[in-house]
Parts: sequence; C-alpha cells; structure tokens
Amino acid sequence: MALRTGRRRLPISAPPGVGVFAMRRRAHRPHLAGLLVCAAVAACGRGGDRRSARAALAVTDDAGRTVALAAPARRIVSLSPAVTELLFALGAGDRLVGRTTWCDYPPAARAVPSVGDGLNPNVEAVAARRPDLVVLYRSALNETAAAQLSRLGLAAAVVRQDRLEDLARAARLLGRLTGLEAAGDSLADSLTRLVAAAPPGPPRIRVAFIVWDNPPMVIGAGSYLDQLATLAGAENVFHDLGAAAATVALETIAARDPDVIAVARDSAGKGAPALPGFARRREWQVVRAVRERRFAYLIGSLFDRPSPRAGAAAAELRRLLGEAAR
Amino acid sequence: MKWLGLALVAVAAFLAAVLLGPAHVPLAQLTSSEIVRSLRLPRAILAFLVGGSLALSGAGLQALVRNPLADPFLLGLSGGAGLGAVVAIGLHLSSPWALPLAAFAGALGAMALVYRLGLVGGAELDPRVLILAGVAVGAFAAAVTTAIVSLSDAAELRNAFLWLWGGLSGASWDTVLLIGVYAPLPVAVLLAAARPLDLLALGEEPARHLGADVEPLKRRVYLAASLLTAAAVAVSGVIGFVGLVVPHAMRLLWGHRHRPLLPAAFLGGGALLAVSDTVARVAVAPRELPVGIVTALVGVPVFVLLLRRWTAR
Repeated sequence: MALRTGRRRLPISAPPGVGVFAMRRRAHRPHLAGLLVCAAVAACGRGGDRRSARAALAVTDDAGRTVALAAPARRIVSLSPAVTELLFALGAGDRLVGRTTWCDYPPAARAVPSVGDGLNPNVEAVAARRPDLVVLYRSALNETAAAQLSRLGLAAAVVRQDRLEDLARAARLLGRLTGLEAAGDSLADSLTRLVAAAPPGPPRIRVAFIVWDNPPMVIGAGSYLDQLATLAGAENVFHDLGAAAATVALETIAARDPDVIAVARDSAGKGAPALPGFARRREWQVVRAVRERRFAYLIGSLFDRPSPRAGAAAAELRRLLGEAAR
Repeated sequence: MKWLGLALVAVAAFLAAVLLGPAHVPLAQLTSSEIVRSLRLPRAILAFLVGGSLALSGAGLQALVRNPLADPFLLGLSGGAGLGAVVAIGLHLSSPWALPLAAFAGALGAMALVYRLGLVGGAELDPRVLILAGVAVGAFAAAVTTAIVSLSDAAELRNAFLWLWGGLSGASWDTVLLIGVYAPLPVAVLLAAARPLDLLALGEEPARHLGADVEPLKRRVYLAASLLTAAAVAVSGVIGFVGLVVPHAMRLLWGHRHRPLLPAAFLGGGALLAVSDTVARVAVAPRELPVGIVTALVGVPVFVLLLRRWTAR
C-alpha cells in the first residue's frame, strides 16, 4: 500500500504543513526550541478550530461508533447497494468514488469504479480510492473491516439495512455526513410516513416468499420483504417466524396454503420469466400455488434490499400478486 | 427375540414418520390427506432406504478397511458429490433432476479416482492406501467446491451448502422409485458377501488360506458400498453418523458375524434415519432442523457409550 510514513506518525488533526516542519526540525537543532513552540501553538490553535468543526459533523452510526468528519464528505465509498441508491437519491451521487460489484441501481452508479464485495470488503481496494468516508452495512464480518479502516485513518460508518426504519435512519445519518441535511431528513420523513401509512384494502392475498427449494427456505418477519408485503396489503404466511429467513418442511408450506408464491428473478432476464426449477418436481405439486402455477417474480435490484423506491416496490408487489392470484 | 424387537422398532419409527409432522393432519383424514400420501409416506420410505443403505455400506466398508472408524463418506464420496452439485447449480441447469444426477456423477468420479489410487504401485486396494486416497480426494474436492462458491457471483451457490448438509426434503414417489429400482443390486451384492467378509476380518493372508477370493471380494464390496452411498448422497445430501454408529450398535447385539449383522444394520439404519427425520421436522416446528444435526445429536451419545464399552473390555 502506498502509505506515506510521514503521515503515519502524526495525528489526523494536524494539517500537512506541520509534518514538514517536524521533519526539518531534526536538521536545524539551534532553531529547535523556537520552531517547536511555534508549531505547537499553531497546532493547538488550528486543533481547537478543528475540534469545533468536527463536532458539527459527528454522528453515531448503527454500531454505536462515533463517525467524525472535518468537512462534509467529498469522496465516498459505498459498500452496500442500498447506500449507493440512497446517496444518489440525496443528490450526492457525484461524490461516490467507489461501489461494490452488486451496486447496479441507478444506472449512473455503474460508471463508478467497483472495489469488490460489500461483505468482508477488500480494505486495500477501498483505501486505494482515497475516500474520506466509507459506508458499510452492519454484519459481524464487517466489524473487522470497519476497525481496519479506522486504523488507516478513514472514517467508517456502519449502517443497518434490514428494514425501512433502518433506511430512514441511514438517510438522516448520510444527510448529516454529506452536508445535505435537508434532503436526508425529507427522505427519512417520507420513508417513515410510508411505514406508518395504513395498508391498502382488500383483496388480502396470502403469499410465501421462497428463496431456496432443497431444503425449502422462506422469508420471515425479520426481513424487508415481509415489510413490503404488509405495505402491499398482502399477508406473509410465515410472518410468525421471527428470523429473516428460515428452513421449513415442505408439508408446512402445503399446510399453510399460500395463494401465491413469490420467487426471485434475475434482473438481467428478458421476456417472460421461466418457471422455477422446483415447480416441476413431483413433491412440490402438493402445494396448491405450485400446482396452479401461481408465481410472482420479483426483480432483485428492486426487492432484495430496502431502497428509497420502497413505495414503488410495494405498489409493484401488489400488482404482481394480484396478477398471479387471478 | 432380537429380530422381533428390531422389527417392532422399525415399524414404530415408520408409523411415527407418517403420523407426526408440523402440519396437523387429524387421524380420520389420514388416508385421504394429500400431505400424508404425497409427502410423508414417500419421505418415510426414503428415510428407510437411505438410512439402511448408509448403514449397510458403512458396515461393509468397516469390514473392507478393517477399521472401526470407517464410514461411508471416508472414501471421498461426499466431496465429489458436493463438487458435482455446486457445478450443476453454477451452470444454472434447470431440470429438477440436474442436482441429484450431478451429485451422483461427482460421487462416481471420486469413487473411480480413489479406486485408481488404491491400485497404484500394485497396492491392490490396500486399506491404508484407500483411506489416505479417500481423505486426499475428499479434501481436494471440498477445496475446489469452496473456491467456486466463494468466487462466484451467484447467491444460489451459497445455498448449495445447505443442500450438502443433508435432508430428505426432496423425497417424492419419483425418488423412491429411483432408489427402489437402483438399490437392490448393490444391497444383494453386499449381503451375499457376508461370509467372505467374516474371513476378511481375520486378515488378508488368513482369509486367502481359508478359501476366500480376496481381490475380487474387495473390489465387489468397494464398488457396491460406494454405489449405494453415491445414490444416497445424490438424493439426500451428506447425512453423517448413520453409517458409522449403526453397525457398531448392531454389533453389540448380534456380534461380529456379518450374516446377521448386515441385515440388522440395514433395518437399524433405516429406523434411526426415520426417527431423526421426524424429530427434525417436529422439534422446532414450523422450522426444520437439518437431519444431519439430529443424527449427530442422537449418534454421538450412543457412540461415546459404545466407545466406553469397547475400551473397558
């Protein structure tokens, strides 16, 4: 890594000029005391200003860490597709200098260079983009990465992104860190209003979200998809499961008898989506929705993470479910 | 008497697998319920076939390599099956039979490779060479599988490991028919090898002197046990402990003679897997535990008990 060793020995708050002074001091010993005093006074004075400037841009992230920036972030690396969308929605898309390979929305995001995975990220690749803020999503594997980034002197913010409430909080946090508080707060408010709004009326379609077939894995109440189902006026038959996803026996799915089965669909796929592989297996025919071929296909980029387009996603889900249930 | 007891246990296990489950089916509707007819009944039968195959194959391999710690997955079959499955998922093969066939092909590939290594340098399927080759092939296949999963973009590949943990979720009348048609031949071969295997337990030289045709016997047992295990893995993933613990448990009751031991192992393995699958479905309903965990939770205390008896002798 191309780290300049001079920077390493000095605290972040000291401006670069003092560092140069410090290195030359050793050569000019008679002036040592005088220069030392000047430099110390200069550092103290500017440090004081910096501290008050820092206090204006200090936020607490979802991991309880304090993220402090000297100035609104200008070079941001986003290690989460939801955060990438959020930054573009706030109008800070032009400040994005790094994204993950999975960040595919909005299309303008694809022009930003990729730094690899968002989970267990490549810290070197992130640091190579020279960001002043890195945003990661909350997960045990990312705790280490966040600590490593802090050690390198890069401000790292960890945000949770399981449900829409988390996204609203992230919008406020990022608004503060980018100096776009107004946009952040208004987006957060609109998301909060969306969550609090009364769900649309009947028909109340019963849906099961199936993510894998052998063993059968379904989405439970801890997930964003479950929240979207409520917003769309539908009922997730596995809402009683607290976890985000869980393995269930096939006979449980058959017994709960959902009206429609929602499965993921590749964003890149064109034309009518193909029937999922398990739909042709004999044992799955016991489930009425499979027998009657009632499937709703959800595009990954819109549905697999909380996004500012949640309202549109809920409306789209309602439409897909209604079509499949007919 | 012992046989009667085992038969009763087997029948009870089968009934429990059909009657119990996370979906509530009242007794009156039992015969007409679609869930019981199309899901629980084939699943119970498959549990017996797979559990029996694993236990029988385990008993055969323990005799072949003359090592009490041998189990059906010793010879690299689980690694090969996992690699086959991951390749099938990665290639997005849409046929519902793609995964089992690919896993079977992978297991056969591993079997052929270990067999070839077992013949290297004129070793003639020496047990020590077989074990080492099996461990090596299994580890290599597992490493390649992990590399593919961690480097790929597809999220589905991460779910491939869930399949590998083992489970009878794929049970249907089609699968039962497949195993029912396929399994009798390897099972018959192993059962017929019961008396020669008794001789083999004395050592290869003594067995030869007592009239056993050792080389063809080793080849037959190796191929039959591996083919049975490959089919079991293709259908239900890697289910541990059945093949290891059940032969030992049956030896406690029937002694070391393979004539009674092999059929007892088949029935006992089937019963154990049927009970474990029922517990897996019911214990944390509506969620389901991976059946490999339940067999281990049941199998480990049994194994410890057996170990104490074995070392106390």
